[in-house]
Amino acid sequence: MKKIRIGIIGMGRMGITHYSIINSYPDVQVESVADPSGLVTTIMNKYLSAKTFKDYNTLFNEVKPDAILVCTPPALHYPIAKKAAELGIHAFVEKPFTTKYKEASELAALYTQKGLVNQVGYVNRFNDVFVKMKELLDNNIVGEIIRFKSEMFSCTITRSDVSSGWRATHENGGGAVFEMASHAIDLVHFLIGKPDKIMGSSLNHIYSKNVEDAVSATFLYKTGKSGTIYINWSDTSYRKPTNKIEIFGTGGRLLADQHSIKIFMNNENAHYHFRKGWNTLYITDIFKPVSFYVRGNEFTRQLYHFIDCVEGKVQKNLCTFSDGANALEVIENIFKDYEQNGRI
Amino acid sequence: MEPIDKIILGDNQFFGINHMSEEKAQQLAEKFYDINNIFKVYQNAFDAGIRAIMLNSNDRAKDICAHFRENKNQYSDMAWYPSVPYPHKYANLIAEKGIIPTLNEVLFKGNTTIGALNMIAKGGIAVLAKDAMKMMQMLVDIEMKMFKGLNIKVVFLQNIITDLMLGYNVKEVFYEYCEYIRKKYHALPGLITLNMPYLKTKLEEWNITGVVICTSFNKIGYLMSPDVNSYIQAAHNNNKAEYQLMAMSTLASGAIPAKQAYGFINQQNIQSVVFGASDKGHIEETVKLIQL
Repeated sequence: MKKIRIGIIGMGRMGITHYSIINSYPDVQVESVADPSGLVTTIMNKYLSAKTFKDYNTLFNEVKPDAILVCTPPALHYPIAKKAAELGIHAFVEKPFTTKYKEASELAALYTQKGLVNQVGYVNRFNDVFVKMKELLDNNIVGEIIRFKSEMFSCTITRSDVSSGWRATHENGGGAVFEMASHAIDLVHFLIGKPDKIMGSSLNHIYSKNVEDAVSATFLYKTGKSGTIYINWSDTSYRKPTNKIEIFGTGGRLLADQHSIKIFMNNENAHYHFRKGWNTLYITDIFKPVSFYVRGNEFTRQLYHFIDCVEGKVQKNLCTFSDGANALEVIENIFKDYEQNGRI
Repeated sequence: MEPIDKIILGDNQFFGINHMSEEKAQQLAEKFYDINNIFKVYQNAFDAGIRAIMLNSNDRAKDICAHFRENKNQYSDMAWYPSVPYPHKYANLIAEKGIIPTLNEVLFKGNTTIGALNMIAKGGIAVLAKDAMKMMQMLVDIEMKMFKGLNIKVVFLQNIITDLMLGYNVKEVFYEYCEYIRKKYHALPGLITLNMPYLKTKLEEWNITGVVICTSFNKIGYLMSPDVNSYIQAAHNNNKAEYQLMAMSTLASGAIPAKQAYGFINQQNIQSVVFGASDKGHIEETVKLIQL
C-alpha cells in the first residue's frame, strides 16, 4: 500500500515529539520538514531521510505532502493551513489553532467545503481519564450538570521575561490563555459544551510583562448551568502540568485529574458498579494501551486518529478545526470581558 | 556482560512522583522535604540487604550523592544506577525559552569545563549542530557530574528520550550513547523504555548488545506498549548475555498488591527489579518477595 506522505512544519518541542510518534505508524512516511533553524535542519539532514526546507512555501511547492502537521508558533498557523487547503492537503494543527476566531472559523469552513481532514491538537480529548469521564457524563452518571470547575496548573513560567520570542505577545499567540487555558476551555467544551456567555474574567501578570500568567473566568449557559475556569502556569508547587476538573450534578459529583476520577454518587449505579457515596477509578483501571508510547497514550492516539481519518478508516474526526474555532471564540470573549469589566 | 544487581531501590517516592494519585505524591513530597528522611530510607534499604540505588539526576540528587560520598566507608559496596536527564528541567526551560536558547543555557551557562569553553570559543551551539553526538555527550556529562566518585554500574537514558529517539529510528544515537557510556564511565549503557519489545527488536537489528533495558513490567500491562503479552514473549526469548532486563512499575503505581505483583514478576525471564518504597516494612517485604 502506498504510504501517506507527511510534512511537518515547525520543529520545536511539539514538532520533535510528533515526528517521533507519527514515524512509528506503519502506513506513514515523514517525507519533509520545514524549520527556519539551521541547527535543526543540519542535524536532521545528517541522520534522517526526510527532506528539509527553510520555509513552508518551498516545502509545499517542491513536495506537496498528503498531510501536514503544523507545529509553528500560533500566528503562522493561519497562512500555512490556508495554503495547504488550497493545495488539497489534510492538516493537523497544534493548539490554540490560530490567534483569531475569524481566521479559525474561515479555515473550519474552508476545510469542510474541500472535504479535507482537519484536526486541532487538543490532546485531552484522547486522554484515558477524560475520555472515560465523557462516557460517564454521556451516560448521565451525575444527572443534570449544574456547576463545574476546570483548572490547570504548571510551573512553566517561573522567571521574569528576559527573552522576547513569540511567547511574549498575544498577537503571536503567547500567554497563559492561548497556550494553557485553551486546553482547559476545550476540556469544558468536550465534556460539558460551549458557554453562551463569559463574565468575571481576570488576568494576572506574575512574571510576564506583556501577557498574563494566570487567568480565571465564569462560564454561563442558557440552560442555567455555570462554571469557572482557573489557570496558572507560574505555580511552582506543581512539578508538571496538571489538569483538574470538577463537575457537580443532581446525581452526584465527579472530580478528575490525569490520574483518577473520584465519583460521589447520590444513588448506586449497577451498570458501572458504583456504590452510593464515594467511588474511585484510577488510571490503572481505565487506561487503554497504545502501540507506541512517547509522551502519554493521548499523544499517540491523537496522531494515529488523524492518520486513520486521512486513510478514511474513520469518518468522524474527534477534534476538528471547528472545535478549535470554538475555543478561540471563548478566548476572545475572555479578553473582551476583561478589557470591558476586568479593570478597576 | 557483568550481571546487574537483582534488587535496586529507585527514587520516585522521594520526589513527589506517584502515577496514581496527586495527593499521595504531595504527601511524599512533604515527608521528604527534609533530606534526612531520604537518608533514613536508604539506611533501611541498606539494612535490608540492598546494595544498589537508581537515581535520576534532578536537583535533590546532588545532595544525596554528596551524602554517600561523605559516608563512603559505610556504603563502600553500594552500586549506582543513575538515570539522565531530569526531563522536567528541560521541558520547562524549552516551554519558556525554546530549544536553542535552552541548549545554550544548559551547555554553556556556568559550564566551565574545558570542553564547554573550547566549544564557546569555536562558536558555541552553531558549531555543535554539526556534531550532534558531541552535543549528546556534553549533555550526558553535565547530568553525570553529580555522580562523580560513586561506583557507577549502569547509566540509564530516561524513557522520554529513549522512546522519542526510538520513534526516529536512528541507529547512530543509540550506538554512540552506548559506546560513550562504556568508554567514558566504564559502565554498562542502560535504556529506560515503555516500548520494550520494539526497542529490543531495533537494538538486535542494529547489532547493539551489552545493554541493560529497564522497562515497566506488571501483569495489568500498565505503561507497557504495545501490550503485556508482547513483553512476556520478548523477555522469554531474551538472551541475558545480550540484554539484561530490569523491571520497573511492577506494582503499577499500587494497583497490584505486592505479593501478586512479584508472583508474576518472579515467573518472567527478568534479571532485576527496581522498586520505590519508603516504609521500612515495605522495603523488607519487597526484598523477600523478589525471587529472580
